[in-house]
Amino acid sequence: MKEFLVDLLGKPEGIVIFQLLDATQFTIYLSAIAFLGGGAIALVLAFMATIKNRFCRFFAMVYIWFFQSTPLLMLLFLFGLGVPRLVGADVNIWLAASSALILYASAYIGEVWRGALKSIPESQWEAGAAVGLKFLPIFFLVILPQAVRISIAPTVGFMVQIIKGTSLAYIIGFHDLMAIGKRWANAPVNGTEPYIIFPIMALIYFSLCFPLSKISKWFEKRASLDKLNA
Amino acid sequence: MELRFFEIYRSSEYLLLLFKGAGTSLILTVLAGLLGFIFAVLLSFSNYFKIPILSQFSTCFVEFTRNTPLIVQLFFFAFGLPILLGYQWPFWAHALLALTLNFSAYFAEILRAGFQNVGKDQKEAAKSLGIKPIIAFLKVIFPQGVSKVYPSLNSQFIFLFLTTGIISEIGVVDLTQAGVFIDSRTFRSFEVFITLTIIYIALSVFLKTCMSALNRVLFRWQDM
Repeated sequence: MKEFLVDLLGKPEGIVIFQLLDATQFTIYLSAIAFLGGGAIALVLAFMATIKNRFCRFFAMVYIWFFQSTPLLMLLFLFGLGVPRLVGADVNIWLAASSALILYASAYIGEVWRGALKSIPESQWEAGAAVGLKFLPIFFLVILPQAVRISIAPTVGFMVQIIKGTSLAYIIGFHDLMAIGKRWANAPVNGTEPYIIFPIMALIYFSLCFPLSKISKWFEKRASLDKLNA
Repeated sequence: MELRFFEIYRSSEYLLLLFKGAGTSLILTVLAGLLGFIFAVLLSFSNYFKIPILSQFSTCFVEFTRNTPLIVQLFFFAFGLPILLGYQWPFWAHALLALTLNFSAYFAEILRAGFQNVGKDQKEAAKSLGIKPIIAFLKVIFPQGVSKVYPSLNSQFIFLFLTTGIISEIGVVDLTQAGVFIDSRTFRSFEVFITLTIIYIALSVFLKTCMSALNRVLFRWQDM
């Protein structure tokens, strides 16, 4: 791969492109961790906000409100600089970056899923109860499948926000596409000037995010067709 | 492991720095929001009337901006473009340019949906009254479209405000930069960034309140 790019583009461009593409994998890994971890917490949050328990609901609402109002950059600083200094020990950079992104993602995805669950009419719950189902079967068999259809477009759309969010992790020393690109942009090498490197990086991010945006739009259109047919 | 918040709060220098930083963040955000909104209206205007070339440009611009991180755009406008075109601006001007263009893409996407949502009957009614399409857009479609998507614009604006902290990366002394400076002096990172988080939350609540108040003033005609 590296040799091919060097042959194709020459030095240093081939090496630069190779390193950028190579570093992109860490952007993808971190995004995946953030999405899966955030999604797991979001599921619990959405469930807590739906069940009829005042404390659970209050906790979910405060959690979502707090982490939606906190800048991602602050979460990264807190986990990357604050916590290590507070406990006086090094925290693994993967752990710090993914904790911050998981908390960030969980609040937004949690809000999307909570809203989707809430939008299912009360009559669906009542109909489930009327045919003798208990709370959990109604939730998992009746409400959840309908809510998933509603929430899939905004959820995929939020994955774009996560990928873009990972670009901030370089600030606490995470080595991803952003970190490598910035290093090359600062290097006094011909052909890696900032006005060349940053558009290339933008193109790489774009090729990750744009398909997701399109898929999200497609789901959105399908969901609105569902509504018309219903 | 102990929390020593007083190391920040007892120093008037640090408090003043935080205050100034918060002001800078707020002013740049509001300016970028206003300019971005104007630019977004132009973008969605060209899309609405399907003006050739301009409307394709606006679609490409919106998609590209929405699908790339703000920090890459910021670095391009702060470090790339000035070298390429040979100009030099203060840090805050680079930040303002990048934020304005970034905000405008998000606003344009929302506005586009809003204008599409205004019923066709409104457009036809204006046409049958002999109102020119541009006047109809400005006086009929635009106000109704904006009032429909105002809540989305509001929450998008708050969301974008929370991303402005990264302008500290190009040297603008905003709230985040003030925090980073205090952190480098005191090494009380946890306390500093908890403080910043609280200030950011307070500012976003403040902005949200202002936007709701503006909503009541701007769209009073709706209740009539």
